[in-house]
Amino acid sequence: MHSDTNLLHNCLTPDIIIKRSQEKMKKIAVEKIEDGMVLARKVSNSSGNTLVSKGVSLTAALGRRLKNWGIHYVYIEGEEQSAEESNTIASSPEELKTHLLSKFSSVMENPIMERLFVAVYQYRLQKNSR
Amino acid sequence: MPDKKKIMEKISNLSSIPTLPSIIVQITSLLQSPKTSAEELGRAIASDQALAAKVLKLVNSAFYGFPGRISTITHAIVILGFSTIKNVVLTASILDIFKKKSDNITDFDIEQFWMHSIACGAAAKSIARFTDNKKKEECFIAGLIHDVGKILLYQYLPELFMKTYSFSIQNKLLFYQSELQLFKITHQEIGGTLAERWNLPQMLQQAIKYHHAPQPAQECFSTTSIVHCADILVRALDFGYGGDDQLPNISETAWKSLNMDSIQTSTLFDMISNEIDRATAFIQLF
Repeated sequence: MHSDTNLLHNCLTPDIIIKRSQEKMKKIAVEKIEDGMVLARKVSNSSGNTLVSKGVSLTAALGRRLKNWGIHYVYIEGEEQSAEESNTIASSPEELKTHLLSKFSSVMENPIMERLFVAVYQYRLQKNSR
Repeated sequence: MPDKKKIMEKISNLSSIPTLPSIIVQITSLLQSPKTSAEELGRAIASDQALAAKVLKLVNSAFYGFPGRISTITHAIVILGFSTIKNVVLTASILDIFKKKSDNITDFDIEQFWMHSIACGAAAKSIARFTDNKKKEECFIAGLIHDVGKILLYQYLPELFMKTYSFSIQNKLLFYQSELQLFKITHQEIGGTLAERWNLPQMLQQAIKYHHAPQPAQECFSTTSIVHCADILVRALDFGYGGDDQLPNISETAWKSLNMDSIQTSTLFDMISNEIDRATAFIQLF
């Protein structure tokens, strides 16, 4: 199927994974930005213009501005976290409830989905408090 | 606005659409026959250098605990077993398809979408374990590939993909509901067409086609139902991002057929979370 060596190399090292393993970056919600965190990947708007360059030291205030610009996540320098830890959406009980209610809004009349809502809410609440 | 017919025409005319290498088709069919020997399978894999390299890399990784000791494909097959080899071969092909990025899309987080696919595979495998389904590895692959139709849109019709994505967020719709409203065609149909063209095993074809409504899946109803439930669970748990902010409704028939009510959800959720970490580590070996 693949004859040239470049292609072989590409097959063995998908670019997504190289980013993960070599650059040591993690993705966080803009609400979680703390002063002093370093941006590992530039932030661009939908037209491709750079809003904040890679390597910039972030502040919580800049995080709020990014949110106003419609940016929800950024990549900062640091170790990749596990599936559980990297799940940074809605960490306070109120945020979590609002977030899940919005997600479940059109399916709550299904009793299975209603039970699932309760199970997921309790599970994530417990995880967040750990 | 392009309609269903135009989109299907465009898809069938795309010359650059990834083709599933014939070697994969050959290996899949070899693996389906109980008479296939390790030598036969080894010859087929060894005829494809890239694939052979991947299999050797994997079996020699710390993941399997034989670092640097296995040098032949036949030995690797004996060590890994047929089921894992099949998993490796299919995962390798899927990775090739998924890793291509779209130059025209900068404001969609494809890595989180990729994570959604891995998570769905991991969740499907976990549900399979809970429901005594013997095809755990197949369920993993089915979950991994269930949204291949979205990937096709993302890579080859990026403007349609982004339109659907924005429309879904603005109108609080599921991705496929937006597709239906805008173009009268869904990623399940598009993915299903691709899976047919690739001659993927029926089980994968059905899981791709019917993951939002498993009833028509007939003989593959059980695995399709597993993928259907897995997709909804990982969305509810926010593991990865599937391209919309809503949850699909669960099929009562699918849920009950798997006897999901008997499962302790917190144990299942823990298992899914661990399985995602395992799957991510596994995929990094490729």
